[in-house]
Amino acid sequence: MGAIEGILTGFEVAFSWEGILFVLLGVFVGTFIGMLPGLGPISAIAIMIPITYGMDPTLALVMMAGVYYGAVFGGSTSSILLNAPGISGTVASSFDGYPMAQQGKAGKALAIAAISSFAGGTISVVLLMIFAPMLASVAISFGPPAYFALMLLGLTAIASLSEGSTIKALISAVVGFMVATIGIDPQTGTGRFTFGSMNLLDGIDFLVIALGLFAIAEVCYLVMNRHKSSAGSGKEIGSLKLSKEDAKEMSGPVGRQSLLGFILGILPGAGATIASFISYIAEKRIAKKPEEFGKGSVKGLAAPEASNNAATSGAFVPLLSLGIPGSGTTAVMLGAFLVLGLQPGPMLMGDHPEVFWGIIASMYIGNIFLLVLNLPLIPYIARILTIPRPLLISLVLMFSLIGVYAISFSVFDLYLLLAFGVIGFLMRMFAFPAPPFILAFILGGMMEQSLRQSMTISNGSISIMFENNISLVLIILSVLSFAFPIAKSIWSKKKAS
Amino acid sequence: MKKLLALLIFVLMLTFLAACGSEDTSSNDGNTNDEDTKENSGEDNGEWTPSESIEIVAPAGAGGGWDTTARMSAQVLTEESMIDQDMGVVNKEGAGGAIGWAYMAEQEGSNHNLFVSSSPILLVPLNGQSEYGHEDFTPIANVIADYGAFAVAKDAKWDNLNELFEDMKEDPQSVTIVGTSAPGSMDHIQFVRFAKAAGVDITKIKYVSAPDAGGVTQVLNGSADVFSTGVAEVAEQVRADKLKVLAVTSEERLDGEVLSTFPTAKEQGIDETFVNWRGFFGPKDMDPAAVKYYENKYKELSDSEAFADVRSNYGWNEMYMGSEEYKQFLDEEKENLQSILEELGLLK
Repeated sequence: MGAIEGILTGFEVAFSWEGILFVLLGVFVGTFIGMLPGLGPISAIAIMIPITYGMDPTLALVMMAGVYYGAVFGGSTSSILLNAPGISGTVASSFDGYPMAQQGKAGKALAIAAISSFAGGTISVVLLMIFAPMLASVAISFGPPAYFALMLLGLTAIASLSEGSTIKALISAVVGFMVATIGIDPQTGTGRFTFGSMNLLDGIDFLVIALGLFAIAEVCYLVMNRHKSSAGSGKEIGSLKLSKEDAKEMSGPVGRQSLLGFILGILPGAGATIASFISYIAEKRIAKKPEEFGKGSVKGLAAPEASNNAATSGAFVPLLSLGIPGSGTTAVMLGAFLVLGLQPGPMLMGDHPEVFWGIIASMYIGNIFLLVLNLPLIPYIARILTIPRPLLISLVLMFSLIGVYAISFSVFDLYLLLAFGVIGFLMRMFAFPAPPFILAFILGGMMEQSLRQSMTISNGSISIMFENNISLVLIILSVLSFAFPIAKSIWSKKKAS
Repeated sequence: MKKLLALLIFVLMLTFLAACGSEDTSSNDGNTNDEDTKENSGEDNGEWTPSESIEIVAPAGAGGGWDTTARMSAQVLTEESMIDQDMGVVNKEGAGGAIGWAYMAEQEGSNHNLFVSSSPILLVPLNGQSEYGHEDFTPIANVIADYGAFAVAKDAKWDNLNELFEDMKEDPQSVTIVGTSAPGSMDHIQFVRFAKAAGVDITKIKYVSAPDAGGVTQVLNGSADVFSTGVAEVAEQVRADKLKVLAVTSEERLDGEVLSTFPTAKEQGIDETFVNWRGFFGPKDMDPAAVKYYENKYKELSDSEAFADVRSNYGWNEMYMGSEEYKQFLDEEKENLQSILEELGLLK
């Protein structure tokens, strides 16, 4: 069967009434789970597996895929409204989304997130459909040196993620790195910095840190400043309507970051979280007014939102075409395939075109449903902000605690959450920016592991970094990315004098 | 009016949360009072039947091997009415199983708490990362076996295990082994066991750990040479002609269209096997009558057609061992692993 016929079969599946029903069900559950801090698509899909036992495999998978990208779609809501990221892929969306909501533009912020997510999702499905078979080779082209170089490139942006003191940003990043090393080191099997505690052997979950540094710290801040009526009173929700300027401003980042997010999503291990951060940084780097970022910039919200949704579709490339799950969620999806009697991998497209193309085709409908489902709800969801402050603060606290507890049902994690909340609050008091901490934490772990893998493979020779074209190019880009701002400032000083 | 709507949405969110939560916690609640019910657990003639719902702990997150084993066996046991009580699966995730085992250690003497485990319950304590090992629990029955495989890229220069080990005997550093888990855990140790049997200097083996399915990727793109993993992980890649399997760790060839083409190490003259067994345990000091009861039920499960379907869906093999046999097997296995870890300098 040719690709065209396959695609047609896929659309036939996706547009059958059962297909539409299950997509709708999937994205509805997904978007809801995404909105609740802590609850993520992994647990939702795992819970669904026994339910789908015996169902038509294509429909079951179409639904589970819907839960997955639906969660990423909905995850931005609580990032924007409460500064409490719904899932790890939407942490970067709070950088500009939350300030925007605090300025009384919550409606607009949610609309931008929804439209960027929709665009990111749809653009990436088109790419997925056209290039999926070819892109399989991209997914496996990255060896450990290339991953190291990619993470290095991401890290060169730390300075640009901060306002004010570069030194403070670097200190923040170093601490983030240090926290990333906690737990069992995969290369030696030894626990590091666990202080003999079993609870730290797995390291610290990213969401614990993100919710602590953002949501809990924000709660502390609001409580401490409760008498300042202006600080984040956010009573206004503002109009949903985007002006022509907004639309124009969004289009660039959405287009670029959908593409970048998709490519990063294809790489096993990178995923939506890393993609959203790198897209945010990239957009800030090329922006004409980078100083607006972090203060409610349209671009700063559109970029990570387009990117994380695109990355989610990208993650289906290695899963469907190679049988390689690149993340926790896709690993559970792989399990679901097996239960349903299917084996994702290079043979799936030929053996079961209706599944392969059905899932992809259903994503078009899923994204449209998500937009239709989310846009009309925005005014109501945004009304959360009109709840009296004391109640709102308690709700954020409660949702954060529930969310963290839902990750591993561990009480220890709750203490960690509160500890990171205090750390986040102190950082804020002393003007240490939190984003470099978060960035160093997510990139640091992978960067260290890929460096050590590379060193083991090369018997300790650093030359392995330059022998591979991908890593060489990425390292050159890193050097440029690092040198460019310095050169720019020297140049502008010269010009001034 | 608008405030009402906002409230409504919140109530909806809360109900949803509660609904999600109950899925995992409801089974927990029924079981907190094991101590109270201990006295009524035995009947006069030595027969024992459960008097309340049974909790099965999967010491890992949802969706993994332990979790699916626990869930699918509980499902078959209750659906086929082999056990009349409810069986709830609870995930106690963390530290490679140690969190779940610590929890089970607190259930000492209970007859209504079981957990599922496999090789890590031997290896993790040996690596010094768990206070508790299989000696601290009551082995009830083993039900499933998985086997390992050593795979290389399709165009690799080795066509069988002996060619690989010949090269490694000359220069162990010239070959990179990749696995998903850390050194001292299953993927690493299964390879080391065969290498040792073939006479390779195992202290010099170069092993890289690549989580998130990085192992297949690294062998496919040539970063690493040999992928040490489970058979199921590579079967599809072999079918697609991307990888070739040098050997599987089972005693005899496996069943299945693709699987039966994989040679065993034994038929290549390397006298070694490795099985990733998976079975159920109770807490310490479980009533022998209860052990007997569960042992029989798991035998019934293992022999049932419904569970045979489950096994074939997941690609698991049948491997039943009763309590006594299981315990002996575990003791021997642990001794063997201990000597290997000692030699590698990984024993803690």
